[in-house]
Amino acid sequence: MTTHVGNEPVIEVAERQTLWSKARYRFSRDTAGVIGLFVVLIYALIALGVGLGWWGVDWSIIRGGRFEPVSADFWFGSNLNGQDIFARTIYSTRTAFEVGLIVAVLSTIIGAVLGGVAGFYSGTWIDAVVLWFKGVLDAIPFYLFVAAVAFAMKGHPYGMHVAMIATFWTTTGRLVRGEVIKLKELEFVEAARAIGVSRLTIIFRHILPNTFHVLLVQATIVFVSAIKAEVILSFLGIGIQDGVSWGSMLAESTLEVAAGEYNNFLFASLFMFVLVMAFNVFSDAMQDALDPRAA
Amino acid sequence: MTSAAETVLEVRDLVVDFTTERGVVRAVNGVSFKLAAGETLGIVGESGCGKTITCLSLLGLVPGPAGRVVSGEILINGRNIVGCTDRELRTIRGRDVAMIFQEPMTALNPVFSVRSHMVDVLRRQAGLNRKQAVDRAIELLDLVGISAPRQRLDDYPHQLSGGMRQRVMIAMALACSPRVLVADEPTTALDVTTQAQVIDQIASLQQQFGMSVVLVTHDLGVVAQMCESVMVMYCGEVVETGSARSLFSAPAHPYTEGLLKSIPQIRETRLERLPVIPGLVPDLANLPTGCNFYQRCEFHSEQCDAAKPALRHVDSASHAAACFHPRGSR
Repeated sequence: MTTHVGNEPVIEVAERQTLWSKARYRFSRDTAGVIGLFVVLIYALIALGVGLGWWGVDWSIIRGGRFEPVSADFWFGSNLNGQDIFARTIYSTRTAFEVGLIVAVLSTIIGAVLGGVAGFYSGTWIDAVVLWFKGVLDAIPFYLFVAAVAFAMKGHPYGMHVAMIATFWTTTGRLVRGEVIKLKELEFVEAARAIGVSRLTIIFRHILPNTFHVLLVQATIVFVSAIKAEVILSFLGIGIQDGVSWGSMLAESTLEVAAGEYNNFLFASLFMFVLVMAFNVFSDAMQDALDPRAA
Repeated sequence: MTSAAETVLEVRDLVVDFTTERGVVRAVNGVSFKLAAGETLGIVGESGCGKTITCLSLLGLVPGPAGRVVSGEILINGRNIVGCTDRELRTIRGRDVAMIFQEPMTALNPVFSVRSHMVDVLRRQAGLNRKQAVDRAIELLDLVGISAPRQRLDDYPHQLSGGMRQRVMIAMALACSPRVLVADEPTTALDVTTQAQVIDQIASLQQQFGMSVVLVTHDLGVVAQMCESVMVMYCGEVVETGSARSLFSAPAHPYTEGLLKSIPQIRETRLERLPVIPGLVPDLANLPTGCNFYQRCEFHSEQCDAAKPALRHVDSASHAAACFHPRGSR
């Protein structure tokens, strides 16, 4: 396309081939990834509806006999307390999303900040302190650590979140640190310093935005890990404190399965499996799409 | 030379060390020079001879913690910047001394548009508000020869050609009308026609802004065209310095002679191999005791192996060479 400004012909770049436009294009060609995203969005909508009180509100109400079969009234049947399994499954989606989002966002922020600072000051005491801190956290077996934090914050609804954020930022931090060590050698960093930009501004405004693709992929991975960890912790009784989760449903079902009742077990497992699977496929597709080395 | 003009930049006995795994390497050893207002100094030498480190130290940008200015003074408008804190240096960078870099491909931040690049520096260092900064950015881009600057403002670096990026870099460097512009091989990564344009641009902007320029380059043709004085560096040391005229017409140091001989001459009709300087640059971590160039030099004597020659005047007061056997005495 050619437009004229004054008398000068100016060739305009017709298509803006940025990392993002290329990534969007590549992602849209990945059928599995698009399906994965679609499924995740349905779950997100379910979770949002629960959060706004549209559905799943009667998850704790006993409104029938125990072990009602699947029917028009009880879509997924009822559990041994006579609670509606459908409402509980739906409500658990909200629990999973809440934990996943909080942990993914906060651990990504912490990982980006600490990884960015450590990478920029790599080889100095600042880097050493961050690496030591990360090493200590990584050395503690995850479930022991979470159990300890949950115990220390007994009854606090966010004990589980704190424990997960404290351990999940380390991987993000390591990746960002490596990326920043690479980026800080590029001339634009030196150029920024040469015009008098302060070091902190360089780290947070000039370098970290360049690691955004890493952060995005890593956040989705943490999101899935957090959901899986939440299910396990709730199953063990140290996870969700007020509410219901697929994990606590599975914990209930241990009694029910012995009595030959599988509804609770099946639907909780199915909902978790489909979400984790869809999120993994979506995350993989996004990782491929955002790979700057891909053609 | 314009000895009457005030000195804006003076470097005295600058020594920069780098701590490496193989020991301490002296990247810059006792470099001294003066730059008057409006003057252009060319720094010439092979890769790794300390040109870039000399430039970086002018802005207090020697890459730490490995690199360190050990001794010497760098006086910018009479103020010594060696030992200044980062906060103090930030007021000098971009305002008194600005720098343009070798790689236009990586010298602009890929996530910032031209607008952010320009407006950022204009607001930070020139203290303009957003509206003024945008207007000034358009003026500057126009000045460095970017057509339709208003349209280019929203472009990102990957949408610009190498020459355009280098022009944006130059426009950023000019944002605060610096006294000294340090250009570290500004044309090395550009193709030949663009090189000439960019060099002409720098020369004409220098006149308009009355800047002094430190030009680092491999291209001796550019030096002859642009610089009043030249400094030839070898292994972190100045081996010859003088006015461009006297240095090109009567090179005193064998290394300078070698560099000049290795330029292809278009007058020569027969195709011959270009003369080369034999041998390799010695290892900076393991320098010889005497003259650094002694092993590659056809005029060397025992004296060259035993002692290091100091810079001595040759034909005029401004022309000096660090050689025991400068041209004319052998």
